[in-house]
Amino acid sequence: MIRLAFRNLFQNKIRLVISVGGVALALLLILSLDAIFTGVERRVTAYIEHSGADIWVSQADVRNMHMASSSLPDSVARKVKYVPGVASVTPILYLTNNVVAGDERNLAYIIGLPENAEFGGPWSISSGQSLPAQGETILNRNIAVNSGIALGDEVEILGDEFKVTGFSEGTASLVNSVAFISMDDFEEMRGSYDTVSFLLVKVSDGESPEVVAARIKTQVRDVTAQTRTDFATQERQVIKDMSTDLITIMNLIGFLIGLAVMALTVYTSTLSRRREYGMLKALGARNTDLYLTVLAQAILSVVLGFLFGLVITLLLTVVIPIFGSNLLLVVSRVSLLKVGSVSLVIAAVSAMLPIRQIAGLDPVMVFRGR
Amino acid sequence: MTNISQVQGETLQIAHVTKRYGSGSTEVTAVRDVSLTVSPGEVVLIMGPSGSGKTTLLSMLGALLKPTEGAIQLNGTIISALAENRLPEIRLKQFGFIFQDFNLLSALTALENVAIVAELAGNKSGAARRKAASLLTELGLGERLNSLPEKLSGGEKQRVAIARALVNDPALILADEPTANLDSKIGHEIMRLLRNIAKEQGRSVVIVSHDQRIKDIADRVLWLEDGEFKETVTMAVDPVCGMSVEREKAISAEWKGQTFYFCARGCRDDFVNDPKKFHLLISQES
Amino acid sequence: MSLARRNLFQDKTRLGLSIFGVALAVMLILVLKGFLTGMNRQITSYIDHSPGSIILAQEDVVNLLGATSLLPEGIAQRAETIRGVDEAIPILSQFVILDLHDKKQPAYMIGYEPKQGGGPWELTAGREPNSKREIVFDRIFADRHDLNLGDQVEVMGKDFTIVGLSNGTTSWMTSYFFVRKDAAEDLLLASDATSFLLLTTSDGANLDDILRRLNDLSGVNALTKREMAANDLKLFAKVFSAPLKLMVGIAFLIGTMIVGLIIYTATVERQREYGVIKAIGAKNRFLYQIVLTQALFASIAGSMLGVLLANGAAQWIMTTRPQFLIVFDPVDSGQALLAGLGMALIASIFPTRVMARLAPAEVFRK
Repeated sequence: MIRLAFRNLFQNKIRLVISVGGVALALLLILSLDAIFTGVERRVTAYIEHSGADIWVSQADVRNMHMASSSLPDSVARKVKYVPGVASVTPILYLTNNVVAGDERNLAYIIGLPENAEFGGPWSISSGQSLPAQGETILNRNIAVNSGIALGDEVEILGDEFKVTGFSEGTASLVNSVAFISMDDFEEMRGSYDTVSFLLVKVSDGESPEVVAARIKTQVRDVTAQTRTDFATQERQVIKDMSTDLITIMNLIGFLIGLAVMALTVYTSTLSRRREYGMLKALGARNTDLYLTVLAQAILSVVLGFLFGLVITLLLTVVIPIFGSNLLLVVSRVSLLKVGSVSLVIAAVSAMLPIRQIAGLDPVMVFRGR
Repeated sequence: MTNISQVQGETLQIAHVTKRYGSGSTEVTAVRDVSLTVSPGEVVLIMGPSGSGKTTLLSMLGALLKPTEGAIQLNGTIISALAENRLPEIRLKQFGFIFQDFNLLSALTALENVAIVAELAGNKSGAARRKAASLLTELGLGERLNSLPEKLSGGEKQRVAIARALVNDPALILADEPTANLDSKIGHEIMRLLRNIAKEQGRSVVIVSHDQRIKDIADRVLWLEDGEFKETVTMAVDPVCGMSVEREKAISAEWKGQTFYFCARGCRDDFVNDPKKFHLLISQES
Repeated sequence: MSLARRNLFQDKTRLGLSIFGVALAVMLILVLKGFLTGMNRQITSYIDHSPGSIILAQEDVVNLLGATSLLPEGIAQRAETIRGVDEAIPILSQFVILDLHDKKQPAYMIGYEPKQGGGPWELTAGREPNSKREIVFDRIFADRHDLNLGDQVEVMGKDFTIVGLSNGTTSWMTSYFFVRKDAAEDLLLASDATSFLLLTTSDGANLDDILRRLNDLSGVNALTKREMAANDLKLFAKVFSAPLKLMVGIAFLIGTMIVGLIIYTATVERQREYGVIKAIGAKNRFLYQIVLTQALFASIAGSMLGVLLANGAAQWIMTTRPQFLIVFDPVDSGQALLAGLGMALIASIFPTRVMARLAPAEVFRK
């Protein structure tokens, strides 16, 4: 009966294309939205993950970087250095502002790096220098290229002119990018000489970041110390919490659309084969044999639709960055699992109508139309 | 017959079967008090005008319809009294159906069309395909195993249908206008096939048809009109010239306690003059 | 076109399912558009309702909700000296992340002087903050997190008491909340700092003139509220336009496919019938009309149902998840109906070609 399902499905190419295509598109809705948000999560944590720090120290109760601000007095840096297990401390200054090139304005996270900073700087340089000296800045390559900025050009940040001396990779998202300048320049322009935003801490060999972070919290007042993984998780959580409802709604719509398409195609397919199914009943097929066929057909269509939807999503993952967009799509395992289950539910529910159709088939019909 | 009795060797017995549709003023009696016994190896032809109830009768014989009154018995089982969920198995294993429109599954090859019925009866895929292949080859379709129905001629399709009907070794073959959509030469072949199935394989064959030519292969011809059997005609073969003749209307002669039927006086006279000369033909009878 | 109608209605279940499928596709398009419209309204709500007509920001800052802005010291006095400027209302604002019972909620803090303005424009309960420890929350935002007047909220480590609930100050991404300016200064460790100045102008004042003079001041950027709102919208559009277009495109394709399926099936199943009609002498055009009529019917019915469903869906979404605002523009509804028509036309192409190729001799084939 499975073979029959297979053959019936492939016999009518148009119907096959529509059912598989429709399901693929509906699942694409779900997969692509998931992928967009996962991509955002990935981008949002890129800087933190690549910073090289084991621990991030921030203002008390500030547990995030994006959409948050953190301020620590300089003295804290010294106190943290003395905490046992701390190998090195790199302070950074951070705020959100615009990088202006001619008429182009690009929103960026401006990171002020101390001289010879070991950590917190760009992790992948495509050309030029890897650290900004005074009066210099390192920009994201895509942003620079899209704005027509070349190495050696001048851009305006925080009201001052900076020479672009390096291009970094992986430092851009759809909304903004990271621009690195020297801490001295940052302090001068902001007039904030005695504060830093974050402290990037590297622990000594053999020490566990969790333990050292806990130590920092107890020994230094008014700070929050998180391991790199914890900090990244907090950042991802912002995106997750923000997007949950939206994703749920889109999932529901995608599910309904997939269901409608499948129900329609399985129904029309079964309808067009009424005589054949009735004849099989006359020959002795049980209802369950025929249910199996219809269900197998539904599952097969949906599986194909799922694969297609997945392939298209993966294609988009590759194609979109090629077009210079900073939209990152990442297909996660969780998303695959979810969409896979949704597909199976669609198959099962859409098979119900035809099952009822078959149950009602009277084998005597095989003689009608004489 | 007033009782259903377990007559030895009888395949099919229907006793006083009636089928009514509707109720009150719209009640229609499609089949009225019909009784019939079919033996193994017998070919019975049911003829009659449209609307005579042939389809209804065939449907009941094939356990597709329950009679309003009366009983249908197959090999000892009263199938008309069985619950619906027992019927598929009976249909699969006891009957073989052959239809006017062939009714092959359009998406399956000839081999798969036959094999699927064997699989439904519980055979594993490999065994089912082997059975199907051998049957189809026997019927001369060895080269067409992997062809789709759209690529087969009418005669080939009907042979696939016959193979499908035989694959589960049924006791009874039911055929509905098996030659209606075939040209005369092919129709002849199919008729011969059906006869061989009865005679060589010992199955009962019940055919419903308008086609007069089928009389040639039938043992009995029943005329159904307005739901009742009006006439029963038994066929016999003239041992001298080999023609099929209706017993009831033929000239007959006795020899060694057996009655023989002839198409004309001439043949009867030839036989009476030298019976032993035609005894080979006699043994071919039934 | 009774033939068309009869064929179409012969199978009610199939027709029903197709119309429903098209309706869903149209609904999706409408809801997406409505979502975008609503979101845009939410994004600019503070700027739309805040006092004044000009906003003064740090040099090179053109958004409210983008870059951090810090104005140079003493700028408020200097701005007020410019002719035509009535009042310079300072606010100190910053994005913060609130940890509300295990959920991370981005929020935009506005520190303002209640005497001067720049705070919530509509309170549904309570009052504005009197002290450094008081806060005004958006009412939907508060409701989502089970907060009410009198409850405590932690912001950047410090506790605040909710004394007022505001309206029109939330979106699905973030929410505005209001504290006194000095409270914000404490939190951000930035005493006397100001992010933006909201400038009110006297009647009849020449805005361009004022802007020019403000921009002459060093370290600042002056723009009209409308300009800044537009910039904020552009920023968010950058994020959402690509995914949105993708979704709308998908919805359209799905709708087309569904209409295509029903028309195709209806056509193919009746090849004999149509062959007969051809044999009798009907022109191809007659048959095209049949196909088109069926397609139009299915898609128009589907589009209308889609509009209904969209309204229903929007109501349901906004009731269960009030942070979403879905606003339907009549233009969008018109576009959705057009989309439905487009689906019909495209879906008819293939079956029409099938019809055209039908040989009348089809009739005599067994």
